[in-house]
Parts: sequence; structure tokens; C-alpha cells
Amino acid sequence: MENELKQLIIDALDLEDISIADIDSNDALFKNGLGLDSIDALELGLAIRKKYNVKIDSDNEDVQKIFSSVSALAEYIESVRC
Amino acid sequence: MTESIVSSFVLSKWNAWASGINDIDDWLNWSKKDLALQQEKAVIPDSVPKMLQRRLSPLAKAVFNSANKCIVTGEQIPTVFSSAHGEIYKSLEMLKAIQADDEVSPTAFSLSVHNAIAGLFSIVYSNQQEITVIAPGQEGIAPAFIEGLGILQEGADAVLLVLYDEPIADFYPVSPFNLNADKTCALTLRIALTGEGLPLQFSRSSMTRDDGELPIQLFAFIRFLLAEDRSLSLGNGEHSWRWQKL
Repeated sequence: MENELKQLIIDALDLEDISIADIDSNDALFKNGLGLDSIDALELGLAIRKKYNVKIDSDNEDVQKIFSSVSALAEYIESVRC
Repeated sequence: MTESIVSSFVLSKWNAWASGINDIDDWLNWSKKDLALQQEKAVIPDSVPKMLQRRLSPLAKAVFNSANKCIVTGEQIPTVFSSAHGEIYKSLEMLKAIQADDEVSPTAFSLSVHNAIAGLFSIVYSNQQEITVIAPGQEGIAPAFIEGLGILQEGADAVLLVLYDEPIADFYPVSPFNLNADKTCALTLRIALTGEGLPLQFSRSSMTRDDGELPIQLFAFIRFLLAEDRSLSLGNGEHSWRWQKL
């Protein structure tokens, strides 16, 4: 799941020079970690909805935690996906 | 013919990029031999951070190639962008996606607006000065000069004018209008009221002539900068503007 998610991030966000091995599951996705920005957050949200049929609302109070790392994101998707 | 002088200024630096033409030497060859333009992609300058490079369309790359030699990272300089069509193909792509019941990419949407390249430019060079983005329509390159000279008159030390366009998608009818060049081109001019460089005078002319829209006028202006010609007039069928080397 985590590797699948990493590939999704690379494809959806045009991270051409980055491979799955370059992304640490526990590293921050935004700012100082992978360095993604707010536009990436929207794009990634759309990609996750398309692939997993999981909608992460921006008014979900845990949204920052859910998007904090690949492992947090994978955990959330697994938890809500039936 | 009545003419009223609008403003004199100095062209401190300039650079242009078109498919296959990367610097002034290439442009000189082009102007002398009428060198055919190649279909070549612009290389992204090193000053663009890695994470922003993926957001650069071919037209944005052209713009950064032309601008990069006229500004250094961190320099605060008011900038005027001007493009007749911007990146209209991105809007067309989104409309097609909507028509196909597909969802529109937030990234594509954010980069489709007329000031998207200006926004990237501001981030890349950490330039927080005022930035204006003009869609001059039939008026060609002149409105960018009017805006830039106005900013100089207000007291700015220097202004960057960044003019760019790419061929628009076949979807849009071009004929019988003179609004499309067949090549992507970006031109950056660094202007000031005084200092070293090429002194120029910009004035309104009552001459009636039609030189097409900005994508076409760009090449005429570059040719003027490289040639021995002392003056250049460009018009839109109703009124025209004149640039004169002093």
C-alpha cells in the first residue's frame, strides 16, 4: 500500500526525478520533507479519490495529520476503505 | 503626421528565446541569414528550484530562458508581463476534460490563468515587487511599454518587460486575423530612465499600418534591436507606435 501510494504521488504530482526509494514513508510530505505545496495537496486529494474512492475533506479536522506522511496517509485510506 | 513624444528610456539589457535560438549571438545569426527557427525546447535555467521545474510549461520555460539573463535571484524589480494569448491551450484542455466528464486537475487550473507564469517568476526570483500582466489584444507590444514607462515615471530604478506568446491551438479560428506567429517566442527587456545601455524614444504615431498582434510584433522588435535601423513603427490598423534609437 505504501509503495503504491508513493507511485501515485510521483505520477500525480509529476515528480519525474524522484523514485519510490527516495520517499521515506515517515517523512513529512509538505514543506521541509518532500517539499510539496498546497496545490499538490489538492492534486493528491483528487488522485486518491479517483484511485481509492476515498474523499478527504479539507474541513476534516485531522486533514493535516492524514497528509503528514505516506504512512499516515496509507493508514487513513486503509481505515476508511471498505 | 503629428507625433507627440511619450518618453525616452534606456534599454539596459535584453534577451530573447525562441525555438532553437538561445542567446543574442543566435539572434544575430537569425537576423542576418534569416536562419530558420528549429523546433527546440527551452532548457530550464538552474535558478528555478527543482520542485518548481515540474510546473513549467514549454512557454514558461521560454519565458524563464529569456528573463534569466536580465534578473538575479533576490533582486527586487517591478515587472510587466504581456502576452496576447497566454496559455489558452490549458483552458481548452480543461474544457475538454469537463466535456468528457473528467475532473479538472487543480494544478492545471492554477497554471491556466493569465498571470500563472508571472506567479512562478515571482517565486523563483523571490521578487516581491509589483507585477502587472497585460493581455494586449490587438494593441501588440506597445501597452507593455506604456505600463513599464509609467512605473519608471513613478520612481522605480528599473523595470522588466517580459513579452511572450506561443502558437494557439488549431481549435481557435485564426484567419482572417493577424494574431498568431508560427513559433513560440519570449523577449525580456530591462529598462530604466538613465544609465548605460541603448537609449530609445517611444512615441505615438499617426501612421496607419497593421503589424499583427504581439506574437508577430515580437520578432519585428527583436529584428529592430539587432539591425542598423534607427526606428521601428508598429501599428494595429488604426494607430501605431514608434521606437527610435537615439
